[in-house]
Amino acid sequence: MNLFEKIFNYRMMAQLDEHGALAVTAQERRWLLMMLEHPDAVAAIEADTLHKLQQSLSGSDEQPHTGNFRTIIIEKAASTTSSLYHPMLRTLRQMIVKKSGMQLHYFRKDGHLLPRQAGVPYKLEYSMVKREWYLLWYNRRTRSLMSTRLRSISSVEEMPVSEEFFNQAADALARQRDKRMQHAMIEIIPAYNRELSRILYAFSCFDKQVHYDELSDTYTIKLTFLGDETEYVLSKLRFLGLRVRVADHPYMKYRLREAAHKSLARYGDASALEPSQHNNGVMSAEAE
Amino acid sequence: MAKESFDKEIQFLRMLVLTSGAYNRQQFADRLGISVHTFDKTIRRLKDIAGTVQQQTADEQNKAMADMLRTSYYESADPLLLFLFRSKSLKESESYRLSLLIASLQEQSLTSMELLELCSEGMPGELALPDEKTIRSDLKYLEQAGVIRRLPGGRPQKYTAHNDFVTMLSDEELSDLYAFVDVMANTQVPSVQGYLLRDSLKKAMKRRQLPDGASDLFLYKYHYHSRILDEAHLYTIMQAIEARRKLSFHYFTPKSNQSYQSKNTNPMFTKESEGRLAEMLPLKIAYDHQYGRWYLLGYSAGRSGVAIFRMEGITQLEESGFVTEDEYMTKLASLERNTRYSWLVDMGRPVEVKVRFFNPDGAKRNFIKDRVLLQGQWGVITEEDDVSFLFEITVNGTQEIKPWLRSFGSSCEVLEPAALRREFIKEWKELAAYYEPVRKNIQLPDDGTA
Repeated sequence: MNLFEKIFNYRMMAQLDEHGALAVTAQERRWLLMMLEHPDAVAAIEADTLHKLQQSLSGSDEQPHTGNFRTIIIEKAASTTSSLYHPMLRTLRQMIVKKSGMQLHYFRKDGHLLPRQAGVPYKLEYSMVKREWYLLWYNRRTRSLMSTRLRSISSVEEMPVSEEFFNQAADALARQRDKRMQHAMIEIIPAYNRELSRILYAFSCFDKQVHYDELSDTYTIKLTFLGDETEYVLSKLRFLGLRVRVADHPYMKYRLREAAHKSLARYGDASALEPSQHNNGVMSAEAE
Repeated sequence: MAKESFDKEIQFLRMLVLTSGAYNRQQFADRLGISVHTFDKTIRRLKDIAGTVQQQTADEQNKAMADMLRTSYYESADPLLLFLFRSKSLKESESYRLSLLIASLQEQSLTSMELLELCSEGMPGELALPDEKTIRSDLKYLEQAGVIRRLPGGRPQKYTAHNDFVTMLSDEELSDLYAFVDVMANTQVPSVQGYLLRDSLKKAMKRRQLPDGASDLFLYKYHYHSRILDEAHLYTIMQAIEARRKLSFHYFTPKSNQSYQSKNTNPMFTKESEGRLAEMLPLKIAYDHQYGRWYLLGYSAGRSGVAIFRMEGITQLEESGFVTEDEYMTKLASLERNTRYSWLVDMGRPVEVKVRFFNPDGAKRNFIKDRVLLQGQWGVITEEDDVSFLFEITVNGTQEIKPWLRSFGSSCEVLEPAALRREFIKEWKELAAYYEPVRKNIQLPDDGTA
């Protein structure tokens, strides 16, 4: 098996496309067959179809010589996944494709069931960190971008809207999202330049640009993220500890300083606890 | 012809993705151990591929490569880096011929002679006409790759495209399959075949005019994009493991400044490579979700016997000698024993770590406990009250679990071992110093009299 096959070549792909032809290799079919064994496949694909696919795929290729990924690959520090394929995923996906509106019943974080909300579904987002699906949607009443865990949705019903309205809502959401974008400059402490690769890997899950100043041998990372991701960025920064320093984001600087002082207080270093300049909503914000 | 190696492209793309525009051409080339000329050539080639794959407008193609690769997960789940696997070189006449063959075999079956005829008619004038031998060897290649299959029955042999599993599906079934492949490729490892299949299914849907494939409905947050570059070595390694063979390669430790060295064909000019030649018996491949990095684990005949390599540092990978099944099994059992308590891949001495986590004040949900349960691997919660809970875990060394514990900030207090507790106190003190309000340094006037 080789991932660099002639058949995957980019010109080849463009030409196949021109001819309207489909080319699937044995290794792709084996991959699919392996994935269909995943317990969540039944939630994604109708039982009949699943059976049909498995039969067609298992009969068609010789048994893989090197297909035993499951025993060779070990995954480390992964979050446990309760269920990968949420039962509502299919319904919501179809609604988005059809550009339909919806009526949504969902629970707030404190477990309170909210009255029915009307809105437009926009995208389905999976967090690799929380291992959780979210519905991004437009709330008609508040005209704002919402992000709701699929797990918290108790029911959803289709509610027709005009295509024009659907598209307007989608545009409004894209604009709101852009407005919520934040930037932060993160400086890598030059003493840790030897760990550059590790540090850059840790930030490679964000939208980032890196600046290198040759004279001072200093790297600075400009992160771009959504406002509600601040907590996750903060946990990444604490994760990296002394290797990085926030250069220009007052709120994050404040939070990191506070984390350090509060931690020292936990360890009995009383001098570390500053006279209370108390802060609202700091602990209630969600640390990922 | 020498076997085409993609080491340069892999290292090149990884550096582009990770350092996102930090280096100028010269700095970049220096760090890769290539010339600026090679740098320019490689960029041109990669741009050409990316442009074709993504069907970009001329405007987009003029963007700097680094900008193109900036992770734009807010807009799309299409991994741009996939184009690496589309970079195998191929002559124009060959790609034209192969695609023509595959196209002719969609939904019908033909013999090699019929295909030869079709090809001769279909090839553009400027390209060489194929002969029978060429067509036969093309068919053999396509059959081996599994793109076409031979129909049962006597001579003359008939061939057809091998995609019944797609053509037999109804529109709705195809949409479901596409969504499934999208989710699995994005959340499971390995993923490259899944992404390639996703591309093909997307096109199949476009042809049936199904709207699903047209836009990205699913987004995936916090993906480590460069992980798919490391999958390039996965299959060679797995093959070697299954065949009980050793591997040899040039290893560039991630701590060195250089991550690649071009092989100079003129021995007069060969510089001593910074990479180290390594030989080892591969046993396992580990994927680390914390950083999105791959590791190769195995045995080497060094002092410790244990061999851990970061996949990103491996170049010029080749299979070498065989080992006996007995030797393999013994080494594997020993590796499994040694990694049992590895938070990631550390095989050091097991240590008992005991920490107290504090429940969030006045929060609606105990997100601290949720996260500990989600990410705490095999650790257990041993005691619990309204304010806090105790978490205990045995790990090989404390180095690898430390960042995770630290990421909880003041919600986590390390109790044992004492050395780790002291390290945390020291680090928090230093971190606090990073963020002390800036006091203007009092500068003594430098009047040169000192």
